[in-house]
Amino acid sequence: MTRKLALALLALVLALAVGATAALAASIRATADPGVTPSTIVLGGTAPLTGSASASAALARGAHAYIDYVNSRGGVNGHRISYTILDDASDPDQADEATHRLVEQEGVFAVFNSVGTDQNLAVRDYLNQKKVPQLFAASGSSALGRQASQFPYTIGLRPTYTAEGWVLGQYLARTQGAAKVAVLYENDGYGQELLSGLRRGLQRSKVKVAAVQRYDASASDVQAQVARLRISGANVLALFASPRIVVQALKYANTLGWKPKLTLDSAAAASASVLQAASEKGTNKVVNGVVSVAYLKDPTDPRWLKSASMKLYRRVMTRFAPGADADDVSHVYGMAAAWTAVEAIRRAGDDLTRARLVQIVGSLSLQGNPFLLPGIAIKTGPDDHFPIEQMLLQRWHKGAWRSFGGIWSYRGT
Amino acid sequence: MADFVQQVVAGLASGSIYASLALALVLIHRATGVINFAQGEMATLSTYIAWTLTTNHGWNYWPAFAFTLAVSFLGGAAIHQTVIRPNEKGSLLRVVIVTIGLLILINGLVTLIWGGEVRAVPSPFPSGTTEIAGVAITTQDIGTILVVVATVVVLWLMFQYTKIGLAMRAAAVNPAEARLVGVRVTWMLSLGWGLAAVLGAIAGMLAAPSVFLDPNLMAAILIYAFAAAVLGGIDSPVGAVVGGLTLGVGLNLIGAYVDFVGADLRLPVALLVILVVLLVRPAGIFGREEVRRV
Amino acid sequence: MRLRGLVVPVVSFAVLAVVVAVLPSFVSEFRAQQFAYVAIYLIAIIGLNVLTGYTGQISLGHGAFMAVGGYTSAILMADHGVKDIWTIPLAGLVAGAAGYLFGIPALRLSGLYLALATFAIAVSMPAVIKRFEGFTGGGTGINLFGIPELTASLTPVSVLGKELSFNDWLYYLSWSIALVGYVIAWLLLRGRTGLALRAVRDSETAAQSSGVSLARYKTLAFGVSAAYAGVAGSLFAIATTYVNPDTFPVALSILLLVGVVVGGLGSLAGLVAGAVFIYFLPTWSQAVSKSPGAPSVVSGALLIALMFVLPMGVAGLVERFRLLTRRVYHRSGS
Repeated sequence: MTRKLALALLALVLALAVGATAALAASIRATADPGVTPSTIVLGGTAPLTGSASASAALARGAHAYIDYVNSRGGVNGHRISYTILDDASDPDQADEATHRLVEQEGVFAVFNSVGTDQNLAVRDYLNQKKVPQLFAASGSSALGRQASQFPYTIGLRPTYTAEGWVLGQYLARTQGAAKVAVLYENDGYGQELLSGLRRGLQRSKVKVAAVQRYDASASDVQAQVARLRISGANVLALFASPRIVVQALKYANTLGWKPKLTLDSAAAASASVLQAASEKGTNKVVNGVVSVAYLKDPTDPRWLKSASMKLYRRVMTRFAPGADADDVSHVYGMAAAWTAVEAIRRAGDDLTRARLVQIVGSLSLQGNPFLLPGIAIKTGPDDHFPIEQMLLQRWHKGAWRSFGGIWSYRGT
Repeated sequence: MADFVQQVVAGLASGSIYASLALALVLIHRATGVINFAQGEMATLSTYIAWTLTTNHGWNYWPAFAFTLAVSFLGGAAIHQTVIRPNEKGSLLRVVIVTIGLLILINGLVTLIWGGEVRAVPSPFPSGTTEIAGVAITTQDIGTILVVVATVVVLWLMFQYTKIGLAMRAAAVNPAEARLVGVRVTWMLSLGWGLAAVLGAIAGMLAAPSVFLDPNLMAAILIYAFAAAVLGGIDSPVGAVVGGLTLGVGLNLIGAYVDFVGADLRLPVALLVILVVLLVRPAGIFGREEVRRV
Repeated sequence: MRLRGLVVPVVSFAVLAVVVAVLPSFVSEFRAQQFAYVAIYLIAIIGLNVLTGYTGQISLGHGAFMAVGGYTSAILMADHGVKDIWTIPLAGLVAGAAGYLFGIPALRLSGLYLALATFAIAVSMPAVIKRFEGFTGGGTGINLFGIPELTASLTPVSVLGKELSFNDWLYYLSWSIALVGYVIAWLLLRGRTGLALRAVRDSETAAQSSGVSLARYKTLAFGVSAAYAGVAGSLFAIATTYVNPDTFPVALSILLLVGVVVGGLGSLAGLVAGAVFIYFLPTWSQAVSKSPGAPSVVSGALLIALMFVLPMGVAGLVERFRLLTRRVYHRSGS
């Protein structure tokens, strides 16, 4: 047996083996709509289980825990929900491949709660072409809700980054007189949109944006940027950044003896442990009084600690996501998204088709999502694919977030 | 002017962190001829061990620090003995792939055990800031620079004046002849890895108080550390420190004053530095040019 | 080379070609798409093998050359209305030129220094892409879905009388190019060029003394391998219908090198196994556990284990098998 022949045979055997197992494994359901059997509804989504953004996987994990809970109570309309999360390592191409797998191999009924702006945008065309619902994409990019007529199967959930920036801008405009704002933002769609929203909210007010600095998502530290912002003489600092960068910036501002008024967007403020780390047992006074935006009930807010919904949240986390950081509000987000999805599915009743789901989701009017702050509604319409557009302000005080003031509503794209 | 000096000071502070990890890289390369791509992750792991001892088990800082160093030393040596040594005889590429495998594995391990949240790590130095003419320097920064300089001095003394140091140098330069004179070459290589792991742990524990701890603590710092090591001379501990400080200050100043670059392009600039140095003078500032005799 | 020596390679290649041709009839469309990606990786690692396996130059930056090819294709399709197929050779040329140009200064580097330099390129590529926003679409990237230049994107295309959906079209396109690339590399490497490249790998000093121009062959190796990576990158952009700085991360460069090493340096046949390995590795790791960080632990451990078990890659395994059978054969004969 010569070498080349052996290699050829090996290649042949390998190919046949893989092909055979593939043929055996591939099961193409021949039902009207894939992903629905008499007993199960199959959902799937992508999230960064590995890689530098793996903290965002909590958005998916919270949803998974809530769905497990719903299943334990008998499911919805007699159906169990199976929710598969595939890793995309924050790479849009991996998200694309994983989404293809979810649709073509797992045969999901809908792609639900996939994390990340680029990742969702990369698969939007494909999912709309295949008429697979891209349900409650976990990203605040306004691009996802725009062009609802062109992409009817795509819908986000959370307030857009523009909306959040706008609320913060309006808050500053109304309370800070003639202040000067310095902004540190992440150089991508997330940070850029927050900045433009902030500017929009500050229009025609006496508050001005005095300096902006940005950082690349791969940066290790932002001391240079913070130092530059300080010399602008700003007395307000807005941080549109990932938790690790926020914490560093807060610490460094404190070091420099700079005590500006601080505002964060909701993603930056996601984990209470971040601000606790930054406050360094109370020695960092800069942290007290930080203002942020919220639409979810924060697990640390003393106002909700005794509420039924937070008790449910803690119970579900303990039982179905043991070991996860329950103080991370991203888990609450996941549950809010899952609750909404379950509601939408429930309303479809027996007519559980993708088209019906999209119809329901496109004309939602829900109050009473237990994980959202009271009074915040989920509302969509034919040209409005932005379900949540209301927010409250919250302030960090003595180790916890407390929401304050009335509800802010953003109208726009 | 105060802004300029502040940028320089901030640059020295971050530069000393790059230098401390660069020292570990230099040590491994000098002792074993290998570039350890997993150096950063090993340092992160050590930092997590220190963190969990002080935060979750209530240890005091210094005992936790000492314990972490000891564990790191043993861990580094063990990694060399079990995973690296069998592959040393093979091509360079095999060792590179193994260190990359270690990088992936340890990064995942850290996330698996402790999760991805950001943690605060206590600092060995008292917190406090000195202000001189409008420029703020923390005690932490001063302490970091001092520790890094002290480490280099200790390393240099060890290599120049102790038997072990001599043995390590011999084992690295000419293993065959070293064996003939009785040097236990494999043990020297493992010792090199253990020491490098200790240096990495020190780097992590110096960095974490200001940069905060999460599984990707060292990811970006590793690249800056490579740049620093290459700039200073990949076999020179002194070069690593000088390279790190120069890099830190240089990057800050370029980021602050060259508009095209901006503070967010510091990483590519650092990489450009690596490229340019490698092309112009591969030995770096303090390295010795390799001369091949035919 | 004697005619007899050609029979076996040709036959084995033909077998592979036949398998590739009929496979889609046996597997689902989704699998076909997966194997299309395997072909794309195969193209890239055939090229990388020329550089690393045969010429002994370590590159941790070939993901960057894939990015060059991918973006070339995307820009040509989206901004200049060039049909996707024609962008592929153009992408290869542009990437090849980039590789050749990089090869010139890289002549001075070897071993770990080269690995570091190429690593630096891979890491900085995303940031550089973002910097030249006007040209590359910056962080948002370029969306190719449904544009007319993309064949079979929305409606099936008719090839040789057969109707092909996007997935099948992609499969046949990628494998055709992969097989052609395989042949070209084989022809390139079995002649004097291959000999010269291997001489450079084994001993630069000896090679130079024998009159082999280091400069010419090293830059050639870089250029050729980058061209292959560029073609792969172009196909990648066509397959995913989307390019953005994060779609060509450092991890890709590392993965390509892993593919070459697992396949077996200096051997073309093992590369198919290498491509299969690197494509399915994330799936296998996730199958073990999806807890945060767990897939990485599995991947890393698997990689290290492979270096122990198969130090010479899959090709080494086959070589051992061959030696074993030959020994048995001879023993039974004598």
